[in-house]
Amino acid sequence: MDMFLDTFLLDFQNRNSHHNFPSLIDYSVTETAEEDKTKKVSFLVPASQIDSFTPSPQDTKYKASILNFSLFYGKFQALRNISMDIMANKITAIIGPSGCGKSTLLRSLNRMNDLVPNIRIQGQILLEGENIYAPGVDIVGVRRRVGMVFQRPNPFPKSIYDNIAYGPRLYGMRRRALLDEIVERSLQQAALWDEVKDKLHHSGMALSGGQQQRLCIARALAVQPEMILMDEPASALDPVATLKIEELMQSLKSEYTIVIVTHNMQQAARVSDYTAFMMIDNPQNRTGVLVEYGPTAQVFTNPQNKQTEDYVTGRFG
Amino acid sequence: MTQFSQSRLDSIDIAFYHTRLSYNRRKITNQIMLIFTGILTSLALLPLVWIISYVVYKGGQYLSLDFFTQMPKPLGMEGGGVLHAIEGTIILTVLGGVIAIPPALLAAIYAAYHSNTILGIAVRFGTDVLSGVPSIIVGLFVYALVVKNQGHYSALAGGIALAIIIFPTIVRTTEEMIKLTPRTLREGSLALGAPEWKTTLSVTLVAAANGIVTGILLGLARASGETAPLLFTALGNENYEIGKIISSGVANRQGLLAILNRIFEQPVDSLPLTLWKYAQQPYPERISQSWAAALVLMILILVLNIATRIWLQRRMSRLQGR
Repeated sequence: MDMFLDTFLLDFQNRNSHHNFPSLIDYSVTETAEEDKTKKVSFLVPASQIDSFTPSPQDTKYKASILNFSLFYGKFQALRNISMDIMANKITAIIGPSGCGKSTLLRSLNRMNDLVPNIRIQGQILLEGENIYAPGVDIVGVRRRVGMVFQRPNPFPKSIYDNIAYGPRLYGMRRRALLDEIVERSLQQAALWDEVKDKLHHSGMALSGGQQQRLCIARALAVQPEMILMDEPASALDPVATLKIEELMQSLKSEYTIVIVTHNMQQAARVSDYTAFMMIDNPQNRTGVLVEYGPTAQVFTNPQNKQTEDYVTGRFG
Repeated sequence: MTQFSQSRLDSIDIAFYHTRLSYNRRKITNQIMLIFTGILTSLALLPLVWIISYVVYKGGQYLSLDFFTQMPKPLGMEGGGVLHAIEGTIILTVLGGVIAIPPALLAAIYAAYHSNTILGIAVRFGTDVLSGVPSIIVGLFVYALVVKNQGHYSALAGGIALAIIIFPTIVRTTEEMIKLTPRTLREGSLALGAPEWKTTLSVTLVAAANGIVTGILLGLARASGETAPLLFTALGNENYEIGKIISSGVANRQGLLAILNRIFEQPVDSLPLTLWKYAQQPYPERISQSWAAALVLMILILVLNIATRIWLQRRMSRLQGR
């Protein structure tokens, strides 16, 4: 582990001095996985335990659990038997080659995939122990608890203020003083307040790309979600704006659980605490499977799976 | 050309030689085509310039402030205007818009989001067919449906006929504009937990507003210039004066609904109708009034257009923050 910190990305240590990898890792579980290298999936939830495994809602360690999750678009199976736990107040990165179902998995976490016609799912996704795919679950409630930031900044064609207040207003908040407070707090959390406090009533579309993306993050924060999904949030931004988003993610994780899909492996290594590696299981059916999931340090320096190793060392993908 | 003897050229030189030849040829072809397309473009603009300048020339001679503010005078008397037709045009166009716009927007939203359902395809096909129906047939249809049942010609019948004519234009432009708004914008709203109707209303329609307004404007401009359907429905009425209707209504202590009813139940003139009728009369005075009415119609549409463009520009610059 020390070798990792010394050799892999010096700034990793400096920027994330509060990272403390050894203590994060649940050694007991890790060892289980190391003994059982033949298993493809997940050091956290060995496949054999999936059926019996149910985190209790009181246990804050897991924010969400994906259990044996499969997803079909019509006849095409996009995801097969994915099981992983998402740790509370940590950043979990999902990496993998294009078309392996990373975004599909991410969008399953707040039921954004419901918009696609002919979609069918199997398995469960538990949010604080409750299956969000159970019949009768309120999708609006799920999406309120699980916010989302998209690849391209998508501010609404409204003022900065109205962009942030859109969510709270949706949930019936009308009092001006309260809205003002939420707008200010959300913008401060998204590290945008100082840049826009004098032009709250200007259009959100007049901001630069990086500012727009932080505005979208602030918009997601305004409804006080528990978990934030980020679908390649920096892929349309320049390096400086990317750095700001990454710093922002670090400052947000004390209050929120963050799941990020990224094509950029350096980014995953820099920002995340846990990394999941996904791949299509064979080129014919193009179904996405979870190959390896573990602490970021382990996935990048000591991957348990040959495919993961090939991918993170850049030998394919 | 002769300075290159074939034997001294290796294959690459030959290639370059031909390239230079064809480059010159391409350059000349480009010049010729550019001039050609330029001439044709000017030719396409010619009718527009011609029509406008001829109408301005012929109508401008008779145009005065009185022409906008006075009712027509009996033949043989000097002066008089087309106030009745200006008011009638506005009444008919507004009525047509009010009747057509709400259902057209709803149909467009449906067709944009359910484009592969049977009803969605039917909306698209139906509006295409409807926009191809000759307007005089629409007039005939409304005559049978409204005028015969009411027992008299009316502004209402004219408004309905115009509504039917502009309905497909508004549906198709709105549908296209909604489809052009980025999907991610919609997803951003849905991801916050907004229901679809709320997302459509406060995000998609706001983002597409410029295009939708332009589509509505095109429809209204077309409606205000329609003549044929009005022959069967609005008929024409030289005594139509909104000011009089309203003041007599107020004097008789009639309610708003009663006054509106009186405005809409009467036959009414419109500018194209007036210009058509005047142009057929054998009096030089009426002929020149007809030209002036044409000019007024063009000015009305121009003002509507320019006002909307300015409003859209302001809105755009507010949204873009420039």
